[in-house]
Amino acid sequence: MIRIESITIEEFRGVRKLTLEFKGKNFSICGPNGTGKSGVVDALEFVLTGNISRLSGEGRGEISLRQHAPHVDKRNDPAKARVIVTVTIPHLKKTVTIERDAKNPAFFKISPNTPEILEVVRQVAAHPEIMLSRRELIRYVLATPGKRNEEVQALLHLDRIEEVRANLLKISNRLKRLLAPLESAVKSAVDGLNRALVIDQMNKENILTAVNAKRAILHLPDIGDLTPTTSLKDGMASPGPAKPQAVPKKQAIADIGAARETLQELGGEEMKKVASSVLVELKALAGDPLAASGVSLENFYKIGIALVNEESCPFCETEWDMETLRTKVQAKLDRLKELSRKRKEVEKKIQTLTAVLRKTQGILNPLLQHASVAKPAIEMEAVEEFVSTCRSSGQTLANLHSLADAIVVMEDFAALPKKVTDEIGKLEEHVAAIPDATKQDAAREFLTIAQERLDVWREARRKEHAARTKATQAKFLSDTYAKVSDELLAGLYAEVEKDFSHLYSVINRNDEKTFSANLIPSMGKLGFNVDFYGRGFFPPGAYHSEGHQDGMGLCLYLALMRHLQKDGFTFAVLDDVLMSVDTGHRREVCALLKKEFPNTQFILTTHDPIWLRHMKSEGLIAGRGAVQFRAWNVDFGPTQWDDRDVWAEIEDYLNKNDVRSAAALLRHYLEYTSSELCHRLRAPVEFRADAQFQLGELLPAAVGRLKKMFARAKDAAQSWGYKEIVAAIGVREAAFVEAATASNVEQWQVNVAVHYNVWDNLTKEDFAPVVKAFRNLVESFNCADCGEILRVSPDRETPDSVRCDCGKINLNLRQKKA
Amino acid sequence: MAAPRKLDTTADVPTQVFQKFLESVTAAGGNAETVGRLKTTLLEKPDLSEEALETAIFGESSDDD
Repeated sequence: MIRIESITIEEFRGVRKLTLEFKGKNFSICGPNGTGKSGVVDALEFVLTGNISRLSGEGRGEISLRQHAPHVDKRNDPAKARVIVTVTIPHLKKTVTIERDAKNPAFFKISPNTPEILEVVRQVAAHPEIMLSRRELIRYVLATPGKRNEEVQALLHLDRIEEVRANLLKISNRLKRLLAPLESAVKSAVDGLNRALVIDQMNKENILTAVNAKRAILHLPDIGDLTPTTSLKDGMASPGPAKPQAVPKKQAIADIGAARETLQELGGEEMKKVASSVLVELKALAGDPLAASGVSLENFYKIGIALVNEESCPFCETEWDMETLRTKVQAKLDRLKELSRKRKEVEKKIQTLTAVLRKTQGILNPLLQHASVAKPAIEMEAVEEFVSTCRSSGQTLANLHSLADAIVVMEDFAALPKKVTDEIGKLEEHVAAIPDATKQDAAREFLTIAQERLDVWREARRKEHAARTKATQAKFLSDTYAKVSDELLAGLYAEVEKDFSHLYSVINRNDEKTFSANLIPSMGKLGFNVDFYGRGFFPPGAYHSEGHQDGMGLCLYLALMRHLQKDGFTFAVLDDVLMSVDTGHRREVCALLKKEFPNTQFILTTHDPIWLRHMKSEGLIAGRGAVQFRAWNVDFGPTQWDDRDVWAEIEDYLNKNDVRSAAALLRHYLEYTSSELCHRLRAPVEFRADAQFQLGELLPAAVGRLKKMFARAKDAAQSWGYKEIVAAIGVREAAFVEAATASNVEQWQVNVAVHYNVWDNLTKEDFAPVVKAFRNLVESFNCADCGEILRVSPDRETPDSVRCDCGKINLNLRQKKA
Repeated sequence: MAAPRKLDTTADVPTQVFQKFLESVTAAGGNAETVGRLKTTLLEKPDLSEEALETAIFGESSDDD
């Protein structure tokens, strides 16, 4: 997408004013903790995304971007806190300036401003993952599978995929649930129609046979076919308005008989057994406090277990043992999982009960209809109430939103109030007393009721069919989506897995060349197991060292980014990552970034100057591709190890007659630069395991080394018969020796009087020549053209040349063979 | 006039999934109107809520009998 050419930061975080020239290339910012490196990273993130994740992350409730992004002295003037970057957009071949201030973080000025450039900037803003810190990196490796899945999903923007998957599944499941009562209604309607027609099985032939027999009694023509609009009463005179509707005796008797059978089934032994078992299981579930707290607590644990990364509670700061805490929370999650399994088992059993409740409702409704047309009307309040109870109990059990409510329902399940049987009995008596109808009247009643029940069935069937069509469509879409997204993600994970294994084996080729890993996606989780020296696959934190885990985090990040952004992966900030990686592997990491990601500009921060040297020596960054912060203070922000800065600053101190400060700065600078000199010249220094070398050990070693190199270069030129070169080296050597002599460096080990420890006690007049001598000495190590320190090449094994970065100086050290 | 340069965009995985989903539904004989509405909801004017998806699947006047 973009490459950063330069950044200018003003009054932002700990920076007062700073400009860094990245020139679209890899760049390193090195400096001890607290020297302002993170301020630069924050500024980059801010100008590109309008946000600073360190200020807006978890636990940063009282910190705001507008209030706290400006330098502390400009906190009331956020418009002064601004960051300007110049970026190139390679595929558009455009150079663009973006500026943002803390007063309006959401807005930015951009020049030139075209829709296609704005689209690129929008895309960059949508990818804050281009900024990677060690804290974030390790989340890909050590997180729980669920949390890792969330992290990877966030990185790949997969949350939208999961949102659609979850919502399609919800729609499908809800529509499927709605089907069950509609199916029951159809079944009830079929039973009712069968009873009305006195047939065992509902089919066209049976219906027409039964109906035509009655129509014949009424001298009506046979119905030849049964279509969705056929009327069974076709041709039958409708009863006149004066003729009251009466209870159809035969039908009522059949309906009452069926109702009694169903009520018997409801209160039968088999149903009691199921009900009793469901009640016990519901009570067991309700007795578990975890189950009672429901889904919200499960989410709380899941989030909590991922956030446990401090040694103490973030609320009360009570210290805890992280492993013990994690184990406890995981045990609770496992328990919730077990409870969820048990709940599903109960739900399955409950389906039997809800089915019989729906059947009871359906079978009692015709009785209410008969009672309502009886003369005199028969009170059926208890039956009505019982139907209503069956409906509400069925809903409570089907939804199972509240275990307590379900238990109340189950405690009274199938308890048939005596009043219900009494009322049914009264209806039965009434029906028995109705005189038998004439054959014609009976036929008329038969056809009327058959038509009513056929209509009920048709309507129930229509609703059921419509709901089934919707449920089928929703399931098809949900299944198709799940299949498509699974296939695509499986392919993506397979590629990432392969790439990750490749990248990791590159940086560990010495000991884990055949390394491989498994990314295991499953519903809402992403398992991650890695090979441990051919002994099997284990979680990354199981056996691998912290350094190896850092390496894995970086490789997984790089593999994901490569597959996420493809050619658009042109820029990334690696903020103090890989600090646990050892020296040998750091070289490999540098080589990996350089070779595998040649089109990606990396901005790397580190507090370790040795790490910086590795980046340089491996060619990841060029000579000028780094800045070293040496100190920070609230008034001036970070200060750099820049030659011009240092000598000017020492001069300032001397002008103020502050010899102590001038001496301290000179010594500090010489310590830094001597280390760099020894490294580049491969000067032999007595080894110290803690790498705490004294200036008195380093600078004399560097001086001695360059002298020796000049001597070897002269010998080599002599052997080849290049007298002019011998003379030229002699001139350079003489100038260098003069500078070294003036500084007295080589006397430090033998003459304490000239040692740098006594500088503090010198007067301004005495110290000024010392400064001049050391400035000359330091500069005599450099190429006058490119300003870079001379270096011995190669950086290992037998030296064959002394050269500078621009190639102007290139002294051969190899003698002609005799 | 030269055609506008195609943006060297990042591979947006969700967009790929949504497009592939719509292709699969069409290939399986899915209703063209439904696919059109889903395209709007998923890609053109993204609203991935349950309500929006249900409306996209069944249309505004869905039968809620």
